[in-house]
Amino acid sequence: MIDIIKHFINVISNPTISFTLLTVLAPLLFPPTDWFEKYHFKFGFNRLWKKEGAYFMFSCITLFLIAGYTDEFAIKILTKPDNIPIVLMFYLIPLTLWLAMNQAYNNDERLARGEAPLEQNDPKDKVLVWPDLVYIELICLLLFMVFLIVWSVYIGAPLEEPANPAATPNPSKAPWYFLGLQEMLVYFDPWIAGIIFPIFIMGGLMAIPYIDTNKKGQGYYSFKERRIAIFIFMYGWLALWVYLIIVGTFFRGPNWNFYGPFELWDAHKVEALSNVNLSEYLWVKAWNQGLPENILAREFLGFVVVILYFVVPPAILAKTYLKEFYLKIGSTRYSTIMFFGLAMLSLPIKMYLRWTINLKYIIAIPEWFFNI
Amino acid sequence: MPFVNTEERYYKGNTLNKWFAIASVLFFGSIVLTFWDDNNDDFKNYQKEFRKIEAKIAEEKHSTALAGISEQVEDYEAKIEEAKTELDQKNSDLEKANKRLEKYEGKYYQANMDYLAHKGEIDALKYRLENNRSHAGHSDGHGDEHHENPFQEQYDTAIEKLNELRVAREIIENEVKLSEKHIDDLSLGFITANKNLESLMADVNLLRTNLEKLSFEHMSTANKVADVIRDLPIIDFLDPYYKVKQVVVDEIKYNVNFAQVQTVDRCMSCHLGIDKKGFEDQPQPYTTHPDLELYLTSASAHPIERFGCTGCHAGRARGTTFNTAVHMPNTSESQIEWEDEFGWKQMHHWLKPMLPTRYSEAGCFKCHSNEANIKGADKLTLGLSLIEKAGCYGCHTIEKYKDRRKSAPDLTRINEKTTQDWTRKWVKDPKSFRHNTWMPSFFNQENNSDHDSQLRNETEIYSIVNYLFKEKQEVDLEKSYSNYLGDIEEGKKIFESVGCMGCHTVNEDPDIEEETSLTSLLKKQGPNLIGLGSKTTPEWIYKWIKNPKEYWPETKMPDLRLSDKEAKNITAYLYSFSNSEFEEIQDLKLDSDELNNITQRWLNKKYSLDVAEAKYSKMNDVDKLDFVAKKSIAYYGCFGCHIIEGFEDAKPIGTELTYEGTKPVEKLDFGYIHDIDHTNYAWFEQKLENPRIFDRHKEVSPEDKLKMPNFEFNQLEIEALVTAILSFNEDVVDHSILGDASPEAILVNEGMNLIKEYNCQGCHIIEDFGGQIADIIGKPEYSPPNLNTQGAKTQPKWLYDFLKKPFILRPNLKVRMPSFNLIDEQWNAIIAAFRAMDGEVNTFENVHNVNKKSTTYHAGDKLAELGACENCHFMGKKFPKQDASTWAPNLAMTKSRLRPEWVVDWLRDPAKIMPGTKMPAPFIPTEDLLSIEGAVNDWGRAIIELSGDQEAMINGIRDWIFAIDGKEDLSKEIKNYFDKNGYLHLEASEDEEEDDDDWGDDEDW
Repeated sequence: MIDIIKHFINVISNPTISFTLLTVLAPLLFPPTDWFEKYHFKFGFNRLWKKEGAYFMFSCITLFLIAGYTDEFAIKILTKPDNIPIVLMFYLIPLTLWLAMNQAYNNDERLARGEAPLEQNDPKDKVLVWPDLVYIELICLLLFMVFLIVWSVYIGAPLEEPANPAATPNPSKAPWYFLGLQEMLVYFDPWIAGIIFPIFIMGGLMAIPYIDTNKKGQGYYSFKERRIAIFIFMYGWLALWVYLIIVGTFFRGPNWNFYGPFELWDAHKVEALSNVNLSEYLWVKAWNQGLPENILAREFLGFVVVILYFVVPPAILAKTYLKEFYLKIGSTRYSTIMFFGLAMLSLPIKMYLRWTINLKYIIAIPEWFFNI
Repeated sequence: MPFVNTEERYYKGNTLNKWFAIASVLFFGSIVLTFWDDNNDDFKNYQKEFRKIEAKIAEEKHSTALAGISEQVEDYEAKIEEAKTELDQKNSDLEKANKRLEKYEGKYYQANMDYLAHKGEIDALKYRLENNRSHAGHSDGHGDEHHENPFQEQYDTAIEKLNELRVAREIIENEVKLSEKHIDDLSLGFITANKNLESLMADVNLLRTNLEKLSFEHMSTANKVADVIRDLPIIDFLDPYYKVKQVVVDEIKYNVNFAQVQTVDRCMSCHLGIDKKGFEDQPQPYTTHPDLELYLTSASAHPIERFGCTGCHAGRARGTTFNTAVHMPNTSESQIEWEDEFGWKQMHHWLKPMLPTRYSEAGCFKCHSNEANIKGADKLTLGLSLIEKAGCYGCHTIEKYKDRRKSAPDLTRINEKTTQDWTRKWVKDPKSFRHNTWMPSFFNQENNSDHDSQLRNETEIYSIVNYLFKEKQEVDLEKSYSNYLGDIEEGKKIFESVGCMGCHTVNEDPDIEEETSLTSLLKKQGPNLIGLGSKTTPEWIYKWIKNPKEYWPETKMPDLRLSDKEAKNITAYLYSFSNSEFEEIQDLKLDSDELNNITQRWLNKKYSLDVAEAKYSKMNDVDKLDFVAKKSIAYYGCFGCHIIEGFEDAKPIGTELTYEGTKPVEKLDFGYIHDIDHTNYAWFEQKLENPRIFDRHKEVSPEDKLKMPNFEFNQLEIEALVTAILSFNEDVVDHSILGDASPEAILVNEGMNLIKEYNCQGCHIIEDFGGQIADIIGKPEYSPPNLNTQGAKTQPKWLYDFLKKPFILRPNLKVRMPSFNLIDEQWNAIIAAFRAMDGEVNTFENVHNVNKKSTTYHAGDKLAELGACENCHFMGKKFPKQDASTWAPNLAMTKSRLRPEWVVDWLRDPAKIMPGTKMPAPFIPTEDLLSIEGAVNDWGRAIIELSGDQEAMINGIRDWIFAIDGKEDLSKEIKNYFDKNGYLHLEASEDEEEDDDDWGDDEDW
């Protein structure tokens, strides 16, 4: 029985399935529209953010870890000193998420009833910097030091053999906090996954206060009042960052192949990888001829697709579905949001294109180190 | 007024205070934890335990020593008591003397002060005097002698006064000395008694001091406190008792890819008794090293300060815990034990895990790679010898063997030796013909024994053999060769006595094969000569033993200079062995469909399909056979061991093994074999046991399968071979600590490698190893000689001539020194090695001239007469007086053969040079004997004249020997004698073996 469950988990952990699941679940967990909200309540996802939801998530994670620590293969990955932060993340992320969502839902209910949010019930909700804030910080600092010391005493640094240019470890993994980026390398050219995207992430996060002028929800937790923004953020953070870190850490083994959490990391495992560029689809597969000499001619479809991707949907939306929104925030904010949003969305799109039609690059100009 | 308005505070102060208290306590706890963790090193616990053991041993030693002298101590103490009483009686005298001494000491103090003060004044005066003098006479440098120096008089007076003061001081000094002596005299008895006790107790006190250092219980309180404090955290940076102990070895480097780092061995932090005697029975890690004579001690060849530990044993030198030192278990039992006791697991990231004890000898090679037989490393030597014998280097390049000739017979003229039918059956399964052949099995192995492969195997074999015999006339085994056959019985006798068995055995029964060892390999220099009747013709055997190099120019088989008759007899004997089981095996047939299939597959692999098809269509059956043969020979690498026409320049097909021992384990393909340890040696063991096993479960085309053949090594051989493979490594060792880098070592090694290659030790004992043929001859005295001191013994020129063209040297031996026909470089290397072993360095030496008129010569002549040398030794053509059983070498040969210095040593005590020799030391009379009345009659004038100088007498015998003239090479005469009379002493002694035992070895001359 337990083996069947493990096998089931192995199967659904495969990025194609798990990422799809996550993408489908995301709007149900954080419903951005009324339609999703209907099903959100219908399927009882709202209960996740109540007490029983906390117990449920805690039990699921604990059961998974118990299964992991008793499994001959999973234990090797779970107990690697490098991976401990991510094991902690299993608890910390749901915990913080639950704390925020729980309060947000409470507030939403209060607001619906016409009451003020919980935080405003206590008008004297202020803390003196000295002594209270500083004191609390000191206590936290001490406790955190204790935690770090105990950790460093009991878990040795994960040192490896002397670096050898002739023998790279297999798999070669980045530090855990970069594994999300490394996972992106599977789908994108290094300069996009390693340079452009990180810049976009930082730039996008910095731009949020200037783009999001919605004053609701300031100073108190609330979901409903800014559900679209939260949904977008949560999808980006959970599916496109945390999830990728978990995949990179636990599901990527030798040769960067996918392995389920309860699977042996067999270095002999081979997966077929025959990826095809968009230009090859066009010229070779569709038009049955060789690639043209001229690089721009060869890649023209890619350029067209990329330009259209960034221009056409925003333009159409501004005229139709998001017309009000566009008028409200103005063209600069609107185009910034669209640019970052589409860039973010390009990651899952590229992932699906890879999984479904083995698409390698939309624009492939290795001669100029320019691949998208 | 409170600092903060408490009413404004959101949190109650006390709650935060409580949290702060808890956090502080926890934080303090974590600091304590770091200290505790920092100081809780495994090695400290081991050192504490070891200190207890040491203290216990010290206490035992101390109490034993104390008990041994306890009675004496009582005596001595009684004497002290006595002396003390005596001293007490003289108490008033002593008091007086002390007072006197005190008085004079005071006076001396004053006198000395006066003297020194005045001396200071004189120095100042002297300066003024000299200064004045120089100013007065600056013009000519002489000074004005008549010039009045105002300080002169003053100075002279002062000097006088100084002398007076000096005398006064000396008088008082004398008084002081007298007083002191008086006191000493009074208390002499007491002091002596005390001193006696002290010297009696000296050893015990040393032990006591040692014990007090080690044992907490025996320390003084102050030391106890110090002992605790020195090891307290933080303070322990000064001089702790418990600390990491280490040796830094500059000469052995650890490779960290970008740099070579010196080895820092900390093993002795836990292995505390490793270089100390007396801990042999203590448990690990305190045990003494099993071989302190060779290792670790400063007197040994490998002192710990220069060699450390991991240079030989590998492992992580800096590790100070059981796991971080990367100990590796020798057996699965000890692995389980370690896992329980130490939570052992392998540190995979350390590239050089410790060698498990069974492979420890692999560490020797990096410094002793050129030695033929590495002393003290028998397993490694056996492994290297097996590599040489099995010819591993034919396919696997190994730096050490890069210039070695191919290990197996030249196949250029195989058609003269045997038939295609025999060769096919042999290639298919060599062991079915000769159970212990070195030829490995290529077919019917793990990855090619299924039905489809069988068909392919047979076709490949057929084509290979066809290629070897191509355009050649093969011999007819059925023909009669009676004119090459002599008497079988006679042949057996000659085979067993003439020396064949120095290198060959004849053993048809696999069950009585000797266990593999360095000695057993001496007998396997050549093949086990069974089944020849089923393999070849008498003609071939006859021609081969008459002149091996004619058939195979590179053969190591020497020429025993057999007569035609002897050769025929031996041929008859060897030909009498046949293998009927082998003869009955069905010959293989060529399957032409399979031949087509193989041809196509190889073509398709190499060429594009259309080219392959075009080529294929042009081939006839002969072409295909030839094509498949060449592909198969190249694929299996037959040319690695055999000379095969058309493959003279082919490159070896196997992995290079020069650095195989340090190859990272992840570069070894374990395939789907998961039930062996993930270590390089486990992989090597598995590979040698079943070379094709890593193909198991794999889908591989026949052209890509593993092809290493199966030598069917047993466990003992595998262990030796793996030791050798592990020893091939990249470790960087400084030239200064190499074991084989000195000029003498280079000479010895070069020669010894030839000696090993040509199996000289099959017949001779050289460097205390070899001479196994004596067991077959049964009579050590009639076996080839022990070559101890060979370098000091013979003149190099003679030795060279003898080796080039051996003749009968030891007249009553039936076994012969063969003609090896080596080239000059090789003979010179061998002779140089013998000489280097004995420390002989001179290339040219004085000819020993004898003055026949000298007294010494005459004395020697007389002694030789009395010693009856001629009873056993030939004197030129003159035969010895006694019968052949005691015959010894021709003394007329000595002057050109032996070195005079060695002859003297030999005469002095033959048994010392050759233990068990039949040669007695000549009797040399002593001075007493010669002074007896009438000694002249017994000893002759010359000896008496030497008046007991034994050295001169031995020199006399030597001179007598060196003056003997006559024919040197008596081969013909001796041969004629034995042709006529037979080797009666050899045959007779067979019946009365036991009587002969006390004769021991007949060694030289």
